Amino acid sequence: MAVNYEKLIKDLVTPLVIHPEDLEVKCLSEDDHMITMQVMVNTDDLGRVIGKNGRIANAIRTIAYASASRQHKKITINIDAF
Amino acid sequence: MKKLELEVKTIEEAKQQAIKTFRINVDYIDFDIEEKKQFFGLKRSYKVSASVNVDVLDLGLNLLKTAFLNMDVDAKVEAHFDESNHQITYTVETNENPVLIGKNGKTLENIQFYLRNVLNIYTDKYVMVLVDIGGYKAHRQKQLEVLATKTAKEVIRTNIPAKLTPMNAFERRIIHTKLADWRDVVTASEGEKPNRYLVIKPKRR
Repeated sequence: MAVNYEKLIKDLVTPLVIHPEDLEVKCLSEDDHMITMQVMVNTDDLGRVIGKNGRIANAIRTIAYASASRQHKKITINIDAF
Repeated sequence: MKKLELEVKTIEEAKQQAIKTFRINVDYIDFDIEEKKQFFGLKRSYKVSASVNVDVLDLGLNLLKTAFLNMDVDAKVEAHFDESNHQITYTVETNENPVLIGKNGKTLENIQFYLRNVLNIYTDKYVMVLVDIGGYKAHRQKQLEVLATKTAKEVIRTNIPAKLTPMNAFERRIIHTKLADWRDVVTASEGEKPNRYLVIKPKRR
């Protein structure tokens, strides 16, 4: 049961951005318990991906977290702009 | 559907303006271009009407389906659009319902919030988006109504106000409506947002 987190997050973020060509999702580190993902977006899109009070960012995190918890892993997502 | 009428020198300019106004990706914008002839053919200009070309109902359906596919979850998703109150409901049935609902429905709440925000980028009129997984919301409503009746009876018997655990607006509303026509208790919500809770008080006579 392999879950492709990069694709999962990319598919979640894509409809939110104006410039999907600038969207980059990378896996920074991965071991048995922890996964760290880095999401890079265009500066114009940063506000929308994070959302008011970071609520959209948190929603994306929760969805990824639920998916990871099935494999007894934890996931953190960093969102940043170029 | 969002629409925009433009008069520009180049098509590229029209695209840039449309992106700026709609704030969405070019692929989702339809352009209807009409060339305007000038007298000497030196100055060219175009009349462009741009519109957002997204079926919100389908977009949400695809988003949910791909997300579940990426999570390696077998899911059945059904979409329903209610014209009268502008509301979209997605009913989800999967083999991993507990994971997707989360503790106290937290994950479900977040999925709904995410989807509501994404879909409303593409609409001109606000649509309400509801997501239900495995009949969780109906089940929760029954649970809350039982809790409301039980606690209210206790409050009437002891004459002491009772605080309930923090809940979101939707859940508090269920209890408020349930107890609205009770003679002997009043309900009120107190506290600030993430920890806003409901108090059931005895009515003084």
